[in-house]
Amino acid sequence: MLFGYIVKRLVAACLMSLAATLVIFLIAHMVPTDPIRAMLGDLAASNPDTVARFRAQWGLDRPLHEQYLVFLKGLFNGDLGVSIKTRRGVVDDILQYAPATLELATVAALMTVVIGIPFGVVAAVFRDRWVDHMARLVSLIGVAAPTFWLAFLALALFYGGLKIAPSPGRLNLTDIAPPTVTGMFTIDSIIVGDWDSFRAALAHLIMPSAVLAASTLGLITRTMRSSMLESLGQDYVRVARAKGLPERSVIMWHAVPNALIPVVTLGGLAYAELLAGTVMTETIFAWPGLGRYTYQSATALDFPAILGITLVVAVVYLIMNLIVDISYVFLDPRAIRQ
Amino acid sequence: MFTSKISRRTSLKLAATAFGATLAGASGIRFAYAESKDVLVVGLDMSDMNSFDPGHQFTYSAPIVMVAAYEPLVTMDAGDYETVHPKLAKSWERVDDGSALLFHLRDDVKFHSGNPLTADDVKFTFERLINLKDNPSELAANIDRIEVVDPLTVKIVMKDKNQPLLNLLVGPTFVIADSKTLKAHGGTSGPDADKTDKATGWLDSNSAGTGPYVIRQWERNSQVVLDRNNAYWRDSAPFKRIVLKHIPESATQLLTIENGDIDAALNLTPTQLDDLKAKEGIVLVEGVSLDYVYMTLTSGAGLNPALAKKEARQAIAHAINYDAMIKGLMGGYATRPASFIPNGIGGATEALTKEIGYQYDPERARALLAEAGLSDGFSFELYYGEASVAGTTYPLIAQTIKSDLAKVGITANLSPVDQATARDKYRAGELPSVLTFWNPDGPEAWTWASASVQRVAKRVRWDVPPEVTELVTKAGSAATTAEANKWYRKYMEALVDNANYLILFQPIYRVATRTTIKGWRLTAAGWQVDLYDVKPA
Repeated sequence: MLFGYIVKRLVAACLMSLAATLVIFLIAHMVPTDPIRAMLGDLAASNPDTVARFRAQWGLDRPLHEQYLVFLKGLFNGDLGVSIKTRRGVVDDILQYAPATLELATVAALMTVVIGIPFGVVAAVFRDRWVDHMARLVSLIGVAAPTFWLAFLALALFYGGLKIAPSPGRLNLTDIAPPTVTGMFTIDSIIVGDWDSFRAALAHLIMPSAVLAASTLGLITRTMRSSMLESLGQDYVRVARAKGLPERSVIMWHAVPNALIPVVTLGGLAYAELLAGTVMTETIFAWPGLGRYTYQSATALDFPAILGITLVVAVVYLIMNLIVDISYVFLDPRAIRQ
Repeated sequence: MFTSKISRRTSLKLAATAFGATLAGASGIRFAYAESKDVLVVGLDMSDMNSFDPGHQFTYSAPIVMVAAYEPLVTMDAGDYETVHPKLAKSWERVDDGSALLFHLRDDVKFHSGNPLTADDVKFTFERLINLKDNPSELAANIDRIEVVDPLTVKIVMKDKNQPLLNLLVGPTFVIADSKTLKAHGGTSGPDADKTDKATGWLDSNSAGTGPYVIRQWERNSQVVLDRNNAYWRDSAPFKRIVLKHIPESATQLLTIENGDIDAALNLTPTQLDDLKAKEGIVLVEGVSLDYVYMTLTSGAGLNPALAKKEARQAIAHAINYDAMIKGLMGGYATRPASFIPNGIGGATEALTKEIGYQYDPERARALLAEAGLSDGFSFELYYGEASVAGTTYPLIAQTIKSDLAKVGITANLSPVDQATARDKYRAGELPSVLTFWNPDGPEAWTWASASVQRVAKRVRWDVPPEVTELVTKAGSAATTAEANKWYRKYMEALVDNANYLILFQPIYRVATRTTIKGWRLTAAGWQVDLYDVKPA
């Protein structure tokens, strides 16, 4: 029964991802700019034969519906076309940049969960005491401070001023990356046993992940706190206390699991958003990830790259949604009965 | 029941581990830098880099790498864009009644592969460049064919002997690659090379050149690593390794150079550079570029009837306070040519601008407006891309112009668009006025002059009189630079009179370098800097 549910959701996810690409395709083509003419050098762009030849190379001389069908056909063959700007397969570009963003977003998400959830629990349990006020202040700063500013501040303070943080980038400035298996330097360096690279990769991840985590941390802390407060006011908590259970058990085994449900929803969406929205952090920390690639493709009106990224982001969002929905089954047995 | 908790104790432990790892990582880094005096680290924005294939690359940042790993037949020194010096060719002459260039190659040059340089490599490289039919092939438009005379002598036959070619050959587009290595990796040079050539993938991570450095690795949007070529035909390069680090944000470049983690920062803003002037351990290197920011004014009555009048355009030209703009927006780090040829080439100099170029003269502007029958002023749309340029931004430049023009009764309606659209519409000739940037095709004055009376003229809907085109042709076919510059002067006077192009400023670029290195010289010939010259201090 669960299996059937998952299959249905996966099919729906595929269809929705395709729908997203269609919408983006139409919007992108409504912009009155020719990305080919914008990409070509000045001399080449003034030669109509050259422009025509390049447009034909990217199929831009065909009618719109044909162009989209070409994209779909390529998609089912695992080919997302060639980027107009990088002149490389979009699949290759995405495979190159995605691991860096994945590493960054995952560590940021872990930080958010590891710090945010306990923080929220403690804030709720010690409501209106100094811990609670501190939690709310930190959350507010995290959500309100612009990522770009926070990133630069962190870099200027810990790297420039105090000199305890490593240089911007994924590794030390003169390092060469471990051989590529996943593209994530932490994992790749463990695989070959290169502990120097592992330490360097981890050290370089701390600050950008922390900056990224700042905004989602605020969100998760506050949500956990209010969810906990609600949970703590429920009948089953009163019953648990009446049974004579120690307060710690009441909190950990009765209040928290139920309070986690809305947080899990938010956490899933936050993770997907972390993956999709890292441009500012990646720029300041010289992080070669998907965020920068997305920005460059958008400003160059690079159709194949834009569509490829849309697809990837849509799929990530939809899968995160699915995982979150499935996790309800374990968090809340009532979900299955519904 | 379900267990989800990560206890507070565990979370504290994790935080401590993370912090410890940071410190451990940090101490490892300090250790590494102390011993790497034979590694040069350069921080720059490499977002436009998309290839190291000489037949394909046509970006701003890739030439730094191209010139370190490859070499052309001839070259130019930083700051002198009229004298051509030997490089892979030790001498040359014009033959066949001026319609061909004959090059005599050095006999002591080897490629990174160990293969010796021969005339066949020149022929293969250039034919491949032409037949790949990509962006850079346009620069070779005047090459008709390449003939191998003997293993060390090659003849390049031009299509039009009145179009200069020699100066263009110093550029990164015309570097010579190892034909045997290229062929081994799927390179072809025949007429269908654009469909059959497969060498680009290999060329993007390796090099088949003769240069002082070898491309060891390219991690896109991250870094390029160059290693010393120990079999170089001149003295070995001073550094064992060069790392070009992609740091897109200038503020980050500033932090890393202050910390001593990079030896040179290429994209700092004028404010940041001024702040570094007094800093210990850092020296600023200056170089006058051949780039400029310019403003077009259409001659097309359909786009703007007022601008179609020459006097109206001249009025705008005299209403702009150029010196104030250079001082205010560029901190004084710019020069201004009289017309479409930048200072430093074609006889253009600041002195010439004072003589024949536009001067800030609001009275004259008003008089010209009256002459045009526009004493009440007029308005026009000024387009520009929302982007930064040369350390300032187009919006700032546009606002400066708007306020200058308002003083004489002309209204510039600011019309910002995104960069790609601005460039596209400008090239399509659809804009009455636009602020944009000219990137040199190569250090040859003729390329600016011919562009201004051909493709750029179309964009501003200027019907170029044959006399003006004749001046450009005469300059192109002149026997000496001095003679060419005489014709260019007349040509500049004609363009100044016509007022379709207002050159606002020509930036003087500055690079911040640490005092641990020396020899950094900025060139405007197309590759920013020759890394071979850079040595430890």
